[in-house]
Parts: sequence; C-alpha cells; structure tokens
Amino acid sequence: MASVAPPEKTGRKRTGTSRQRQSMHEGFLTHRNMFWAKLSAALALALTLLYIFVPLPGTHFGASWLGYTLGTVGALLILWLTMLGMRKRAITPGRWSLKAWTSAHVYLGLLVTVVGTLHSGFEFAWNVHTLAWALMLLVVGSGIFGIYAYATLPRALSANRYDEEGAITEKQMIEALRSLDRQIHDAAQPLDVQAATLVGQSLEQDPFGGTLWNRVTGAYPDCATHTAIAELRSLRASRQRSKDDLLGRIEAQLARKEALLERLRQHLKLKSWLQAWLYIHVPVTFALIAALSAHIVSVFFYW
Amino acid sequence: MSFVVRQIALKASGEEIVRSADYAMAEITVGRNAACAVHLPDLAVNPVHARIALSAGGALSVTATTDQPFGLNGRSTRQAEIDPAIGGELAFGGHRIAVSLDEDGTRAVLTVRRVEAVSDSAEERDVGAAYSLKGLLPGKRISAWGFALFVLFAFLAVPLYSFATYQPLAMDKDARRPDGFHADSTWSSGPLSISHKALNEDCQACHTQAFVAVTDNACLTCHTKDAHDHISDKARLLQSRGAPEGMAAVQRAVASAFNRPAGRCVDCHTEHEGAGAMPATQQQFCADCHDGMKGRLPDTKIADAADFGTAHPQFRPALIRGMERGKPLFQRVAWRAGLQENNGLKFTHGQHMSKTNGIAQMVRRMPGQFAAKEALNCADCHQADSAGARFQPVDMEQSCQACHSLSFDQIGGTFRTLRHGEPEQVVADLRAFYRSTAPARPANLSGMARRVPGDAAQQSTAADYARAVRFYPGGADQAIAQVFSKGGMCNDCHVVTRGGTAQTAGFAIAPVAQNDRYFRKGWFDHKAHVQSDCVECHTGATTSARATDLLIPGIEGKGGCRTCHVGGDGAKLASISVKDPVDSSCAMCHSYHMDAGAPWVPKNDRNKSDGQSVAMANRPHFPVKRH
Repeated sequence: MASVAPPEKTGRKRTGTSRQRQSMHEGFLTHRNMFWAKLSAALALALTLLYIFVPLPGTHFGASWLGYTLGTVGALLILWLTMLGMRKRAITPGRWSLKAWTSAHVYLGLLVTVVGTLHSGFEFAWNVHTLAWALMLLVVGSGIFGIYAYATLPRALSANRYDEEGAITEKQMIEALRSLDRQIHDAAQPLDVQAATLVGQSLEQDPFGGTLWNRVTGAYPDCATHTAIAELRSLRASRQRSKDDLLGRIEAQLARKEALLERLRQHLKLKSWLQAWLYIHVPVTFALIAALSAHIVSVFFYW
Repeated sequence: MSFVVRQIALKASGEEIVRSADYAMAEITVGRNAACAVHLPDLAVNPVHARIALSAGGALSVTATTDQPFGLNGRSTRQAEIDPAIGGELAFGGHRIAVSLDEDGTRAVLTVRRVEAVSDSAEERDVGAAYSLKGLLPGKRISAWGFALFVLFAFLAVPLYSFATYQPLAMDKDARRPDGFHADSTWSSGPLSISHKALNEDCQACHTQAFVAVTDNACLTCHTKDAHDHISDKARLLQSRGAPEGMAAVQRAVASAFNRPAGRCVDCHTEHEGAGAMPATQQQFCADCHDGMKGRLPDTKIADAADFGTAHPQFRPALIRGMERGKPLFQRVAWRAGLQENNGLKFTHGQHMSKTNGIAQMVRRMPGQFAAKEALNCADCHQADSAGARFQPVDMEQSCQACHSLSFDQIGGTFRTLRHGEPEQVVADLRAFYRSTAPARPANLSGMARRVPGDAAQQSTAADYARAVRFYPGGADQAIAQVFSKGGMCNDCHVVTRGGTAQTAGFAIAPVAQNDRYFRKGWFDHKAHVQSDCVECHTGATTSARATDLLIPGIEGKGGCRTCHVGGDGAKLASISVKDPVDSSCAMCHSYHMDAGAPWVPKNDRNKSDGQSVAMANRPHFPVKRH
C-alpha cells in the first residue's frame, strides 16, 4: 500500500500486464509528486508565521479572530478527515481516487496538529479544551504509526512468509500445522502417560491463542510445544536408549511444529501491528469528535 | 457373556462408518494401547485406562486402572456401575463411549465415537478472523461508541447539569455555589486571575445565562465602588473611537452575529488567562481613541496622544496663579522653559544650594547637622511623604529655622522666638517685650565696689538710665518696623507689604502656597526614580536665581522625561538621544478608570523594587530596567 519506491524511469514501453508494472506503483505518500505534503507544509508554515507576526489583542488564544479562524478550520478539517472512513468504502478512480483522498488525509491530518496547537495558543490545562487537543494528537499519532506500519511491515510480512520452498499463505499455514499435529498425534500413540500428556498439551494449545500482549510482542512464554520439546528431551536423556528412538522422532516433529509456530506468530505479530493502530485511530477519532462538540458547545454556552 | 464394540469414524463427507467387533470376554480394557479391546487413539487416554467387567446381573463395572479418572454421564469418577439396559456415556479424553444393549437385549454394546479433534489446530476456524485481532480487543465500533458517549456524558451532560442546578444563584453577590468540584469547571479555558481566584469553581458568578456573553451587570454585582467610568458620556466615547474599518469592521460584524456586544468590561479585562494578575491594558487600547481624536471629536480639549516616545503632547503642569481666601488658585499651563510660578517666598534654590557662598560656609561650620558636609542638599528641606510618591510641604520650623532664627530674647539658656505664620502675635510679643522689660541696668549703679570717687559719674549714669527706662516701651514700634522691613527677619524670606491692619502694625505678609502636585492628569512617582539624582530632572535647582523659577521638567529638553522614557514599543523621536531607554506605555502614568491615585498596576508588578512593569501588546511582561 505504502510503497515508497520511486517510479522507475525505464525506456521500455510499459505493457500493462508485465510484473514491471508492480514496481511502477506509486504509493499514497508520494501521490501526485507529494502535492498534499507540499500544500500542508506551506499551510503550516503560513499559519505559524501568521501566528507569530499578526498583532492580536492580548495573549494568543482561541478567543482572537485568528484563534476562532484556526478553530473553525481545524474542526472542519477533522470532520473531513473522518470522512475517509466513508470514502474508502466507495472506490473510484481519477483525481479524487481513493489514493488521492488517502494522500490528502495523511498530510492534512498532519497539518491539523499545527492548526489545533496554534488554536490553543499553547495554553493547556485540565479541561475539555485540552482534552480535545490531546485526543487529536492521539489520533494523529496513531495515524503516523499506521503510516509507518504500512510503509515497513508488509515487506517484513512477505519476508516471513517466504522460505526456500516458496511463499506460504495464511490458509496453508493452518493446513501445515494441522498436518504436523496429525503426524505427531499418530506417532505419539505408543508413548507412556507422562510423555503422551506432554505431547497432548502441545496439540491442545490453540496456535492462535494467547493474550494481546503475546500477540503484539510475539513472545509466548507459555508455549506448550516449547515446553514439550524441553521436557521430552530431558526424559529422553534419562531413559535407556532403544533402537526405535520414538521420543527422538516425536521431538523432531515437535521441533518442526515449533518452527512453524514461530513463523505463524511472527506473521500474527506483524499483522497485529498493522491492525492495532486502527483500534486507537478510529475509536479515538469519535471520542475526539465528541470532545470537539463539547468544546464548541461549552465556548458558546459560557460565551 | 460378551461385548460388542462399535467404532464410529467420520468420512470427509460427514458420513459415518461403523466398524463392529465382538469380544466374548467377561472383561475388556479401554486404552490407547492397540491391544485394548476398546482402542482409543487419544493421547489424553492412558495406554490401559480402565477395565470394563460384566457382572452377573448384566451390569457393567468400570474401574480405572490408575489414578486417572474417566467421565461418566458428564461427571468424573474412577469406579462406576452401569446398567446397559438403562444406558450411560463414558468419556475418555476426546472420546465418548455410549453404553447400551443390542437389539436382542442380551449383549452390552459400547459405541465409541471421537468427539474432539486430534488437535486444536484441526478444529474448524474462520481463517480471516483468526489472523486478525478479533477477540483480543474490543471492536472498533463498540469502542468508538463507548468513548464518544463517555466524553459527551462527562464533558457535556454533567456540566450542563451543574449549570442547571445552580442557575437560580446567578447575579446574586453573596450567593456562591458550594465548595468542591463542579463539572462545568472542566469548561474553563484557564485559571482566573488572582483577584477572581475564589470564583474558579463558580462559573455562574460571571456566566449567568446560557449562550449570553458575560455582561457588565455580572461585574458590577461586586464592583460597586471601584469601576469608575472613563468618561460619563458613552456616546462621546464611541465617537472618539470612530467606526471600525477593514478587519476591525469584519471582526465587529462577526462578533455581533455571534451575540458578543462590544464595549463590555470584559473587552479589556480579559479573564481565564492564567493564575497571575490580570494583564495590564495595552497601549493600543488607549491609542485606539486618543490617536487622532481631534479629528473625530473636534470640540475636545484633550490633545492627541498615541505613544509617549513619539506622539504625546507637552505636559501641562498645574501652577499657582494667585490666592483666594488663603487658598491657591491653580491653572494648567503648557510647560515651556523659563516658566514662572509665584509661591510667595523669596527663597532661591541657587543661593541655598551654592557650594561657595556664606550658606555653604555655615553648613561647613555645623558638621553633622545637615545631610552633606559641603553645602545644603535637597533632602535638608524636602522630605518625601509616607508613600514616597511626592514631598511633604517644606516646613519653616523643620527646615529653615536652623539658620533663619526667630529668636529675640534669651532668658537663662532659653531663646524666646517670634511665632512663625502669625504676624499679629509677632507684633504683640514685641510690644509685650518692651512693655514688661527694662534696659539692662548699668553696672556702676549697683553696689559700692570699685567706683570713681564722687557722685558725678553715678548721677550721669543714673540720669541716662532713667531716660532709657522712660523711653524703652516706645522702642517696640522701631523693633516691629525693623522685623518686617528690609533686613528684618520676616523680610528675609517673605514679601511684606504695607496693606496690613493695626494688629500687624500695618504690615502684611504675602500668602505662601506650596504646590504639592504639578501633574494632575498623569502619575509621577518619586519613589520609582529614587536612584536618580534630583538634579538629573530638576536641572535648574542649583543655579536658579529667581524664587519664581519653575524647576519641574517638561516632556523634552534638559532633564525632560523623554531623556529616559521612550514609547511603549521603544519608539522615540529622532532628535532625542536616549542612553538607557525605558519603555513606557500609557499605563505607566495613566489609568483608564481615573482617580487621584496611582494608575492601576498588575498585582504581580506592584511590589517590585525597581518600579512598574510595562505591558505591551504581543510582548511578554518584563520589569523596566533602571540604572
């Protein structure tokens, strides 16, 4: 989505179907030669200069003409930025393509922090006004993280999915896991109670389980497969070697499963980072709109 | 005496495959071991988990071989009796064994069915959801609603409730909301200034009505005495301001559209700008009207002013212009060099402050009596008043009498003095002196010691003395005339005329008045200038040879205020060179709500030793540097 690769200048004629076209992809960050980035930067600079140099009565504050103007612009901008949620469900091409819209969303979203902060006049306190400002920063901050995630994580995601045997899809990951589990299950049938219980715990553990913390860190200290391997290894060491090294085979199979789980969990971690920011970005946006409404009503109520 | 074991497996299509086996035994085993009659390929099951024995009555006795239990009809146990005729369900790991009788009703049938998948991964799952954060985090929609409703409740609904609860208290001076937190204080855009601190939790003290901008009435509920009008005629005020133009007109229009009338107290006295003192009024505010006011208000007597450094009229000190019934008459006169003011005295500053004349010599002869050793100093006569802003009137007894003695007689070690300020008493005292005393008795009239032989000398002396005694009271007239005339005590300092009554022997002392405040419309504070030498401003003091010379400085010239004071933003006229400029906005000397006192100064700056602070539009407040 957010590929930052610059358009390749090749003399070759583009054939719409070649893979080359993929590298010509222009992400929303660089859309239209960063038109929206330039526009936002220019506006931010202009507003800052206005803030510094326009003589206003009293302290710089929301209650000057510049303050009210910045506030109105900021509030409208926030509402427009929220509209991306509606807009993205209707994909249309052209100048106002979703990509253009997203590009504008990103850069005007960054601009809104400047507008909002200048509107505040750097007067902060424990009140609904500063709450709205803080929520705005939280929304924009999570959005910035989202851009970072979209710009970097898909690459890591594909890298994780590829190995010497080629790419593996999400569905295939589950299938591979099921297959390994079946093999382990069958192989483990002759085991005694103690070993069978260990293997059983590995099979019974939900590979998609764990807490949010496990998911976003990719660390699963309670991994039953990992425990089973360690325990079986010590069991095997304490027992007499037989010709048929059943424990050894099972251990090897569990190790394969662990490797697969490792990859699955890395995949889940990357995907959670790709998704988690939206769980802040979207709900806090609505909290922001609520705080903004309270802010506006309160200003006019206690006029 | 046999069992039927039916193993049920599922085809991919969901179809069941039943494999049936007969065991003609009285006891069979259940376990993961392939040798068991009921073989359960399940890692949760022991190799030989339980034995099932057929008792004589046809009932089945199930016994666990180890400590590990099994399930019977949903409950965990290690020993169970089951009547196949009634039936029952045994649970081993992920398998269930249904116990029943066969169709003939003779044999126990154990129907084995796997109910749990081999592993957790093998269970059906929605691939899309499994790879998402669903289930780990509350959904976006629900949290969006939750957060938004919480914010609206806490920061809109509850504050509105607070407002509605105490609405009847509004506009009542003594009514206060109870102490503690009120939710509408979360709407406060910043803390109130020091003087309004007590109102921080009482929004409705000022915001009396919803959606109505703070009214003057709200201020005047408490400020009943200290809110003077700048001028009483509001129409003139508006006229001098002129109609707003350009941006100001747009702002005015927008403010009107949003129900924010102009000209309210809070236009200048802005609040919620921090817990310090209320900010000082900005110069721009004064200049809005006073800059070019003559054009808008042709009949005004006030000259245009915009900035002290560049656009301020010459000072108009109030000078004594005569006396009426003992009280001085003042007239404001535009300051110019050489201006004269007659206070009725002959005192000259130049003579008294000279370092070379007899007065200086007298000071040198009396070390320790005066402020300096070499000559008289300002402080020898001029004492600051209690506030330090101005000076007490010079007092004859305190300041002059050390040299200008009024003594006329000595009795023992005590000097008798004439009464200052009461010429009729002076006349009476002198007459009484001459009436009740006699000339000193000559020494040769008393006693017998060492006298010239014979009476001639004594008689002559006695005759002279008798004549002297005879005419002595008549000397009073001469003494009185001498005191009031040139060379006499009074005449040294006072202007004496011959227009007096008999009580004062026909002499009259011209009335004296000391001007205690020259600048009545502006505020000058000597205390703020205490580090400067007096003559830096009162430049003529050491050389003035005329009693009537006005020593008050003007706006410009030597010692004038513009020598140091520049405009609010540091502006000054090109013709003036200023070494240590002091930014001076209007509020340094003038007050909007005028009274006789000092102009209003923000509380923060009031106790600063180095003087006032100057507030300027769009610049931070800082104390004025003095040298």
